[in-house]
Amino acid sequence: MNLEVGTQLDKIVILLYFTLVMGFGAYFGKYSKNTTDYFFGGRRFAWWLITISIVATGVGSHSFVKYSTKAYQYGLSSTMTYMNDWFFMPLFMFGWLPIIYYTKVKSIPEYFERRFNSKARYLATLMILLYMVGYIAIQFLTLATALYRIYGIPLMLTVVLIAIATTIYMHFGGQTSVIFTDLIQGFILIFAGLLLFFLGVQFLGNQTGISGLSAFWTNLTPLQKLPLAHFNHPPDFNFVGIFWQDGIAGSVGFLFLNQGLIMRFMAAKSVNEGRKAAAFNVLLVLPISAIVVSNAGWIGRAISNAAPGVLPLELAANDVFVAVTNIVASPGVFGFIIAALCAALMSTADTLVNASSAVIVNDIYEPLSKKIKSEKEKLEFARLTSIGVKVIAVILVPFFNSFDSIYEAHGWFHSTFTPPLVVGVFLGIFWKRFTTPAVIATFLGGAFLMILGQIYPELISPFSHGIELRPGRGYSYIGALYNIFVCAGVGVVVSLFTKPESDKKLSGLTVFDVHKLKEIFKGSEVNEEVGEKLEVNWKLDKSNSDILRFSIKDMAMMKANPGDLVYIQDSRWWLGGLKSAHSIFGEPHNEDGVVYLNQSHLDHGQFVEGLSLKAEKEM
Amino acid sequence: MDFYQTWLPFIYLYGIGGIAFVIGMLIIIKSRALRLNYSIHSKWVWTLIYGFLFYASIHALFIFIAIGSK
Repeated sequence: MNLEVGTQLDKIVILLYFTLVMGFGAYFGKYSKNTTDYFFGGRRFAWWLITISIVATGVGSHSFVKYSTKAYQYGLSSTMTYMNDWFFMPLFMFGWLPIIYYTKVKSIPEYFERRFNSKARYLATLMILLYMVGYIAIQFLTLATALYRIYGIPLMLTVVLIAIATTIYMHFGGQTSVIFTDLIQGFILIFAGLLLFFLGVQFLGNQTGISGLSAFWTNLTPLQKLPLAHFNHPPDFNFVGIFWQDGIAGSVGFLFLNQGLIMRFMAAKSVNEGRKAAAFNVLLVLPISAIVVSNAGWIGRAISNAAPGVLPLELAANDVFVAVTNIVASPGVFGFIIAALCAALMSTADTLVNASSAVIVNDIYEPLSKKIKSEKEKLEFARLTSIGVKVIAVILVPFFNSFDSIYEAHGWFHSTFTPPLVVGVFLGIFWKRFTTPAVIATFLGGAFLMILGQIYPELISPFSHGIELRPGRGYSYIGALYNIFVCAGVGVVVSLFTKPESDKKLSGLTVFDVHKLKEIFKGSEVNEEVGEKLEVNWKLDKSNSDILRFSIKDMAMMKANPGDLVYIQDSRWWLGGLKSAHSIFGEPHNEDGVVYLNQSHLDHGQFVEGLSLKAEKEM
Repeated sequence: MDFYQTWLPFIYLYGIGGIAFVIGMLIIIKSRALRLNYSIHSKWVWTLIYGFLFYASIHALFIFIAIGSK
């Protein structure tokens, strides 16, 4: 179908948006002093900043296209994948989050090396890189699919241009750029999605002559109002298959294996701030995001029910979002909403590119380097790596373009690449008996059995829950249940026949040691007394020691002792911890309301002369 | 609308998902990763339970509304 969309004004709005975001991201490059800052943002941000930056990453540009398609076909049940992530929150917030934060693992593969051995690390690295690079390719494809129609340039050239644009600000900024760019993009994304819903409802009101919301609701059938899909029908969109593919494999994959998401949580100033960000995200932001990404499809369905012929009858699956937006939004506004789609793409892609480059530097470059590399060399390599990752992603785009829809490409991706890693990391954290030979068998044996399942779909039939087997195409989403089962089965059986690891080797790496992690992190007994947060002025100390010195009275108010950990930040709350530093309480002095800090703290925190700081005891 | 379209997905979601949730809670409590005697942790217990019930209520409410609509 030849779909012509967009005006000159829309093209200008989109280009302006790209320029603005690139400049914004590049500005924050000055906060990346070393690879820790580049990848993790220096462990300093407030929960709300982490939450907003997760919005844009979690939604992703493919979500607009993907969920609009299913919303158009099936109604409100398109939201079910956004509303099934709570089940694993206890294990994430109190199991995995403290482990990654306090053990300071820089990547998921590094966890595999510490928990198992270097072979497990390299296998995990390979799988995670394949997953992330493929995911980036899907992001590029999605945005190019929308943009090339507007600008009338070939799809692959659009992909290349997008890759270059995202490189510019990521190259200079790293994770701090990513977080701050996502902050602005998160707002734009939510606003644009809700604006689209408002415009769509207004359009429906004008078409039907009744009030907008009422027109929207009454023009959906009862089936389209159900929040969950039919249990096992049709094969391309059923509840039980999508539950196992997304609710189980996807949720665990997203919370426990998404390097980009984990890096966000590691950028939080504390574990509790990370928990707040996670809870707020799943409880409030995800339901709103579900509306944001799906509503174009719902509006499109209501329009088609109320006024057949307004939308093209043979609308291609991936064109629903752009087609509906083009109808309900005026010139300029259409450009703005498409720019929000760009925001989503760039957020997800830049997070994944940064995460891939963190994995390559930390899990391949550093372990294989014979010489110890300087921070400058590592940072330069990280920046070059991010370009390499994008080149490979661009090359993979035609492969994903060969799927029937982006929804199917993404579903295939999740059910194929996540189960071995999901089982490996999950049993590693929550089952001490899980052994090194078992995790390797899970990766290799599990992958072999998964491939068998792809070749002989009848192996998956016992798990199918009555879902129809499509000739020549096999099972789609429910394959995830079979894949999880065979991977877990191999892991459990091999564990039972091999020697368990010693408790010493597992120290701090399973949920059973989480209560000891704070002590391991601090290196001494933890001070759990709850003290006050204090606002203080700062003075420069000539000392080179990594200590901050407060008055006796101030330390008493914070319930702090020398040797405890302290977090200090610019007192302007809206900076969200951007200007901040972690250090250790030194011996006290007698000047109340004053903290002595050294040049290194000043450089890292970029504190401003004359502006006060807020200090709090960490532990 | 039959049972396969309305309540079966709901029961399956909160049945299997509920088992995962309860096992998760038990693991973090038994391993002392979550300590019920810490005031900050006990607030999190209620948040976790609230989150589960929040989603179950939303889904149940929309199923009721859909069944009752024309």
